[in-house]
Amino acid sequence: MTDPLDLLLRDQAAAIAAGDIAPSELLDAALARIEQRNPAINAVVETFPERSREMLAAAPPGPLHGVPIVIKDEWPLPWRAQRFGAAELLTPTAPGESGPYRALRDAGATIVGVGNMHELGAGSTGNTSVYGAARNPWNPDRCPGGSSSGPAAAVAGRLVAGAVGADGLGSVRFPAAYCGLTGLKPTFGRSAMEGHHMAPVTTLIVSGPLCADAADCRLLGSALFGEELAGGDAAGLRIGVVRDSVSEDVTPEVGEACEAAIEALRTETGGEVVEVELADLQAAALAAILIINAESMSGVAPEQLNRLHPEISPIARGTLKYRTLLPTAATVQAGLVRTLMRRRLAALFEQVDVLAWPTVPAPAPPLEAPLVELPSGTLTADQANVRGAGLANLTGIPSISMPVGLSAEGLPLALQLGAAWRRDELLLDAAEALERANGRRWVESLPPLAAAEPTEA
Amino acid sequence: MAASDHSDAFVPAGLASLGIEADETDLAVMAAVHGIFWPPILELLALDTSGVEPERCPDLSRAP
Repeated sequence: MTDPLDLLLRDQAAAIAAGDIAPSELLDAALARIEQRNPAINAVVETFPERSREMLAAAPPGPLHGVPIVIKDEWPLPWRAQRFGAAELLTPTAPGESGPYRALRDAGATIVGVGNMHELGAGSTGNTSVYGAARNPWNPDRCPGGSSSGPAAAVAGRLVAGAVGADGLGSVRFPAAYCGLTGLKPTFGRSAMEGHHMAPVTTLIVSGPLCADAADCRLLGSALFGEELAGGDAAGLRIGVVRDSVSEDVTPEVGEACEAAIEALRTETGGEVVEVELADLQAAALAAILIINAESMSGVAPEQLNRLHPEISPIARGTLKYRTLLPTAATVQAGLVRTLMRRRLAALFEQVDVLAWPTVPAPAPPLEAPLVELPSGTLTADQANVRGAGLANLTGIPSISMPVGLSAEGLPLALQLGAAWRRDELLLDAAEALERANGRRWVESLPPLAAAEPTEA
Repeated sequence: MAASDHSDAFVPAGLASLGIEADETDLAVMAAVHGIFWPPILELLALDTSGVEPERCPDLSRAP
């Protein structure tokens, strides 16, 4: 019999609803598996069994009743302030009921642990954190992706079947890509964000689900959105492809896997592939960085930077100080680029339903040296990854990453789709169509860690 | 001017003007970050956006 923890999120929920699994047993099994597997990947930085049991005891009969979920260290819980993967935040935080917490609670879910994350959310690799780096279940010497490193590693390692991340500059999609998961970056404003320490000022960050496949993202996403993300079909899908550095400056394995996936999606949906023009993608990525920088540093006094916690990493310390020097003129220009790209996308989405390109240009790099070798040369993973991710955050459109293959080294490869504002459901439909097209081969692939012997509950 | 040369003057001057202290490690990190960010920032500033009518308080959840 399949270990309940190895079931998909929706199957766990269905088994509980049918009385086939006792939710208290599933919670105990999840806690046991975290204890067993987490030391290898450092995905979960804190559990609180008594709080989880209290949450389960009070859980309403919602769509996620009794299902254990990991939440990123980015939102407060009633019993715990977020630490944002850092020894210190520059914005005051306190325990409380964040939007994602309420969404999970009201759906009947049980928060079983807090997921690790890249320090201050400022990286695409997850290799730096006050808790120590999270590790990739596909290869613990590789980056799990960031900044939602722990949530992704927890799902990929089958510690839980669903996790809540956050995406301000690709932070759901990067770890989904590196860990072989499906991750949705919702349309800005559609998913729960209350209680996030940047909620009052951000125009880029959203909460989003990380799960094994699109249907599970639909279920968890519906809870985060507070509305059902109804399923449809993606028949006749018009797939836009931009031929520029984001799609071309990638490793051969990534390029081939994404091309094959796009063709499979076209065939499955009876759609078409349309080559489209979208200039200034690199400027768009930089604009997103400049805007999130301005938003996150807006209330920071220079004196705060002179007494940073000694456990803030040297990279974060230097980067925080540098960020105060970025010229306002560049941020103003970034705002104009945002307007420009939003208008271009609005016109483009009259011609196509989705835009497709690789989520990341290379599979997960080593934790110790997160560099990627691309046709254009050697880049830091952060430099390379943001090129394909920033556009969605800058403009507000939804975007999804899904697994489309494995590299020769056994690391996941991923395709990203973007759609017009509020067409999150279409992205899930398209991801499900791609899963059908490839026989669910990639969403059902398990990393070595998760293929280990099941936990004795 | 190369970004590395530029950082020799720009970074210390900026820190001084804001009253931010930095040790050698901070300065080394900042120089590296400046080398990555400054050239594309100059390219961004050079982008012709003269015809772009700014969106006032854009609703990012919807098309413009």
